[in-house]
Amino acid sequence: MKDYCTLIFGRGRRLAAAVLLACLAASGCDAIDPTEVNNPTTTDEDLAQATNPTAALLPGLRAQFARLINAYVVAEVVTDNYSIHGTGIIQTLDSPQEVTPDIMNSTGTSANGLYWNVQELRALADFVIDEIAPGDDTATPELVAEARYYRGMAYLTMGEAFSYVPHEADGTPQGADVAFTRAVADLQAATGFGPQANAALARAYRLQGDAGASAAAANAVLSADAEFLYAPEYDASSISNTSVFFLVLRALQEMQPLPRLDFLDPKYTERSSAIPLAKAEEMHLILAEVALAAGDLPGARNQLANAIRLAGTRSTVSFDDIDERRNADLSLRPRDSEILVRADESSPYRAGLVLDRPGDGLPIPNISGTSLDADSVAAPADAGDLWHSLWLARQEILFLEGRRLADLGIKLPMMLREIDQNPNINEGDAGTVPVIPGYLPQAPLYAMDVYSPVMLYDGDGPDATLLSTMVTIGVDMNRVLATNNASPFN
Amino acid sequence: MQCRRVIAVVAAIVATTGGAWAPAQAQQTGVIQGQVLDASSGRPLANAQVLVEGTGIGQLSNASGRFVLPNVPAGEHAVRAILIGYNETVETVTIGAGQTVAIEIEMSSTAIALNEIVVTGVGAETERRALGTSVEVLSADDIALAPVQSVDQLLQGRVAGATVNATSAQPGTGSLINFRGVSSVFGAQTPVIYVDGVRVDNDQSTAAGTGGEQSSALADLLTSDIERIEITKGGAASTLYGSDAATGVIQIFTKKGTPGAPRVTARMEQGIEMPELKYIFDTRTIFPGRVESGEVTGTFLEDQYFKNGQTQSYYLGVSGGTADVTYSVSGRLEDRTGTQPKDASTNYNIRGGLQASLSDDFRLDFSGGYVRHNFERLYNGSSIADPITTFEVGDALFFSGAATLQEAYDIFLMPDIDEWVNRFIFSAAARWNIRDDLTARLTVGSDNRTNQQRIYQPIGFTPGESTGQLNRRDRSFNSVSLDAGATYAWENAEGSIGSSLTVGVQGFREDESIINGQGRTFALPGSFDFDAAADITAFEGNVEVFNGGLYVDEQLSLWNKLYLGGGFRIDAGSSFGDNIDTELYPKATASYILSDDLSLPFVDELKLRGAFGQTGRFPGAFLKDRTFSAISFRGESAPRFANPGNLDLRPEKTSTIEAGIDAALWDNRVGIDFTVYDARTTDALFQVPRQPVTGQGTQQENVGEILNRGVELGVNLDIVNTRQLAWSLGGTFRYTHNEVTDMGGVADFPADGSQKRVTGCWRMVERDGEEVCRGGPVGAWWVTMPVDTNGDGLPDGSQRQFTGGFPVPDKSGSFNTTIGIGNNLTISALADWAGGHQVFDWGSVWATFNGIYRRERVRCGMEEGAAEGCEYAFPTRYDQNGAARGRYSQNAARSAFLYDGDFFKLREVSVWYALPEEFAGSVNASRASLFASGRNLWIWSRNEIVDGELNGLTGGGLQLGSETSSTLSPNRTYRLGIEIVF
Repeated sequence: MKDYCTLIFGRGRRLAAAVLLACLAASGCDAIDPTEVNNPTTTDEDLAQATNPTAALLPGLRAQFARLINAYVVAEVVTDNYSIHGTGIIQTLDSPQEVTPDIMNSTGTSANGLYWNVQELRALADFVIDEIAPGDDTATPELVAEARYYRGMAYLTMGEAFSYVPHEADGTPQGADVAFTRAVADLQAATGFGPQANAALARAYRLQGDAGASAAAANAVLSADAEFLYAPEYDASSISNTSVFFLVLRALQEMQPLPRLDFLDPKYTERSSAIPLAKAEEMHLILAEVALAAGDLPGARNQLANAIRLAGTRSTVSFDDIDERRNADLSLRPRDSEILVRADESSPYRAGLVLDRPGDGLPIPNISGTSLDADSVAAPADAGDLWHSLWLARQEILFLEGRRLADLGIKLPMMLREIDQNPNINEGDAGTVPVIPGYLPQAPLYAMDVYSPVMLYDGDGPDATLLSTMVTIGVDMNRVLATNNASPFN
Repeated sequence: MQCRRVIAVVAAIVATTGGAWAPAQAQQTGVIQGQVLDASSGRPLANAQVLVEGTGIGQLSNASGRFVLPNVPAGEHAVRAILIGYNETVETVTIGAGQTVAIEIEMSSTAIALNEIVVTGVGAETERRALGTSVEVLSADDIALAPVQSVDQLLQGRVAGATVNATSAQPGTGSLINFRGVSSVFGAQTPVIYVDGVRVDNDQSTAAGTGGEQSSALADLLTSDIERIEITKGGAASTLYGSDAATGVIQIFTKKGTPGAPRVTARMEQGIEMPELKYIFDTRTIFPGRVESGEVTGTFLEDQYFKNGQTQSYYLGVSGGTADVTYSVSGRLEDRTGTQPKDASTNYNIRGGLQASLSDDFRLDFSGGYVRHNFERLYNGSSIADPITTFEVGDALFFSGAATLQEAYDIFLMPDIDEWVNRFIFSAAARWNIRDDLTARLTVGSDNRTNQQRIYQPIGFTPGESTGQLNRRDRSFNSVSLDAGATYAWENAEGSIGSSLTVGVQGFREDESIINGQGRTFALPGSFDFDAAADITAFEGNVEVFNGGLYVDEQLSLWNKLYLGGGFRIDAGSSFGDNIDTELYPKATASYILSDDLSLPFVDELKLRGAFGQTGRFPGAFLKDRTFSAISFRGESAPRFANPGNLDLRPEKTSTIEAGIDAALWDNRVGIDFTVYDARTTDALFQVPRQPVTGQGTQQENVGEILNRGVELGVNLDIVNTRQLAWSLGGTFRYTHNEVTDMGGVADFPADGSQKRVTGCWRMVERDGEEVCRGGPVGAWWVTMPVDTNGDGLPDGSQRQFTGGFPVPDKSGSFNTTIGIGNNLTISALADWAGGHQVFDWGSVWATFNGIYRRERVRCGMEEGAAEGCEYAFPTRYDQNGAARGRYSQNAARSAFLYDGDFFKLREVSVWYALPEEFAGSVNASRASLFASGRNLWIWSRNEIVDGELNGLTGGGLQLGSETSSTLSPNRTYRLGIEIVF
């Protein structure tokens, strides 16, 4: 033992210590292993290893399209469809003239993320179509057609919602007409993906003012399926229906409908609720508009009635609504079925537009709903009344699908980040300020959401008593559209 | 002889596990006994370490300054006394066999401790007199007397130049620590922390958010058994830590024991915690109608919700050893019930330290500590499920759906939020004196911290998922550190010129893994596993980082009064872009003891110092790569663009020029430590947005420049120093000017929330006759403000603007005093303050939804104008024609919710009483002390609505603080304890 100790700690002690030091250092180095860090996300090198990259990236386009539609639907708060009451949505969005690039500076899926999501969809589609698919032997025409559909929808949405936006890095902003042209090109190449491509084409041609092409595309859809509906479900566990949070789930249900649209709310009740992306009703409404623009009143009445009848066959959900119908100051909004609503001071009061809230078992249309009936529009009416009915039908049947923004002609500004980062865009340039048709009410703020009387109840508690059963909306925006010949076909 | 040392190591280990310690073999010995005294006052000095050199025999002096050193071999010995704040003193004693020799050791106090040894930021152990930089040291005495539990609390008010702000009263939360301003716009400003040379987790946000008051890794860095803490605040003092130290370094050294017989320390504390209700308005202010109706009292929260909590703490430690082996081992248990329902925590802490000399020139150090920290809390901060917030902003009924406040109260107490932290920190160090002039050392170690969190909302919890929801988050953090180096020391024959050259490598690796699981919708009550839920989701995140480098440090000593230093570190890291191989960080320091050459009136010692040094902060992990992320969508993996990638990504660099003085004046009665610095962060990492048209988000790029310029002052005064009375005063002051001096062409962007902004154009200043933009402090407040759009002098619009305020205090300081009466009684107090900042009160914002204007109610009473001359501060909005249109809405006039954040807090008062030796002796103890303390005792703040200290809504990322909801201030705590040393 003594010899051993002498060996270790005596004559050989420095050697032993050196060995110990080296061992510690070696084990330390081994534990640190400085050369190995693994990025848990896919890098360019990883992507290059993918065996079927186009197919692998397509779900990403589907997801991004879902995000875009989410933002587009919530953006109806800008229109007369909804007003904002709570903290979840920037209240300024309620008034289109107050929407600035700074307000739109979000990458989320709420209304102010609309610009971001449309550009991300377009850019990701560019990446798949232009960079990945050409070198991918497994990229079938069907896969490419689907990718073209998403890019076409991105361009179509750009044209609908924005006046001028860039289409490429450092690009100068392009007008909505250019966006529609590009949308048409992509959608024409996407018809292999299904009737939804033709439905989108009908929408795009309409916005271009091309009645013939729009009608042809609409008829192609109806020929394929007279009750056509394209409405993929959302995913409750990941990208869920954003509007459901503001309509149903959040304690402050920020999105409160215009009282005359109360019966349509909430169109989406579950996180997974599908949003109709294309449906036969819209095709009938386009055909009605084509006919009306051409002076074919019977044809217009017929197509309008078709749309209304088809909407009446669509499903409803039975919904137990806990929404107390409150304004931002927590005062009560119209929430009793005995309330009559007129669209403006010159319109008749109508019943059945307001449901009892909170209430159980409310029948809510989850695809299409309308207060119009087919017989009434089939009755003789002048063109002006038909135009009003058409705009009302579009508002109600296409409720919460994104159409109202374009129907009102509101163009939002691009996001501030684009202006800041693109050397060819400056503040004040086209596309950097909201564009609002002159016939929309400019003042006061939130004019499209105003109704009277403001104080409808004698308190704000659950037992508050209704003071008046008559509600008058400040402005009937459908009358404004009809009066001002707002149709792209005019 | 060598084998005996091995046996001694084993014996020491046996002793640490409770075995009997075998004293040294009986020899021809004697006893040295005596007393340690202050040289000027003759006052006995307690806790001085008295050692018989070369024997391993030593003891701490007791409250009377007395010590007894038995079994001292006959012969001549040097007896060394060491005590912080005093010059080390050596007395020579000759002792015969069987003899008892009495000595007195008189120690002269030093106001600036120039001979103190520090190791942080220098290649080798260096006397403070040679440092060209400011290094703060907290001694074991500072720590032992402080009535705190964790290191972040300890730093509060004790470090010149530091701002340490608490988060809230919630258990498990830590403080925001900042040295020398905000030097970066990404990530927290928390300094890196080393424990015995091992880099440890300092993350401020280690669990899922429950409203903003986040669980922090700082909360389980306890103050038990800390020997010393060294603090460098960036600059040259931190250069040797390379790309990791721009925010400064806190180095904690744990106790390894001192030679001597086994010393058992037992400590027990009992305490109460009382809620600080200064900023709680309660139902009398928020629900006056329901108070008037008799439904509830006006103090419903005070009566029902808040309560006094209890704290009990037990500590048992053993330390001792021989000249070759010393040890320290301890256990601590602390149990606490807080001042709110479901507010409790339990801490178990076991640690041990061992120092063993295997030979005359080879030494090993080991330390290990285990902490288990369990705590429960309720929702807090910005969560609508927070009981305090929901009552304080008037939402309690709305969000619960209850008819009465009592029903709402019961609902808000339903959730269970539990967290368990397990943490093990281990360090091993070897030191080898290869030759007299050559020393090598190696330190390796690891920090392993795991925390599990369960957030359970039972069925029926209506503010949340009424069908039940369980969130589960597991975080695992592992770091491994290595530091190896060698120092060659040389001195000329006369001893007038010396050199110390150190070459070493230092690095660490961090692995963090987070798994989140969520289950929604349970069929039956009582389900407590999320796999019983109808809807299950899970997420995972992983981060791996390596950073390391080579450092060289040269210290040159000239005539023992002029010291020049220089060095550099070359760094490489896994987060550097592929085009960046290494980064170089140079430093140069100078120190001159002017008082050695120049005799100035009243000046005992005067050191001038100056330094230049660079430090860095490495980029975020994996941000160099272009990446694609994916999520599950409709049963498919759905990819999208993630990080754009940057091959040129490199650490941001902070270059600091600092100068200062350390001075001892008036017979060492006054100590001054003053530093002025200019720290400029170049290549600052900004998250630069790509053009949205590219579909790419933001990318970290080295484009910005941030300036921090300021002063730090620490002063200590010995007012009275007599045998019967000693009274000292101290204080610290800090001022920092923080400015973004270059945006690198990047547009203004938000920082730490949407209302704080990084801007290159904060205000206009005149330069060369022209008005030019001047950058703002990082995170300048940028909120909506009323504006006059038509020039009629009446506000009619709203616009986001810079208010001129900022969230981080630009000045802070502290005061402390200690009074010693006789030999037995010590009373100390500490207060700290901060100011110059604005705090934003979200609680008042949310209250406006319910028609409650809290500030106005507090100032004016319930009704507008109720108090004479009191006007509602919330502005009236006019239309274009000048007609009043009512008050601005909360979102259009957020500036109305920004308040002055200035505060002053009486942080601590403590009293220590050393029981008479006769009493200690009667229980066979060498010392016995009673102590009592109070913490967070009194608050003054410039505004009466929110606590200006709190960082209630911290979250992750850049944490600037000063955004709070209805956040409970840290509790007032009172503790009473006894410590007995056997």
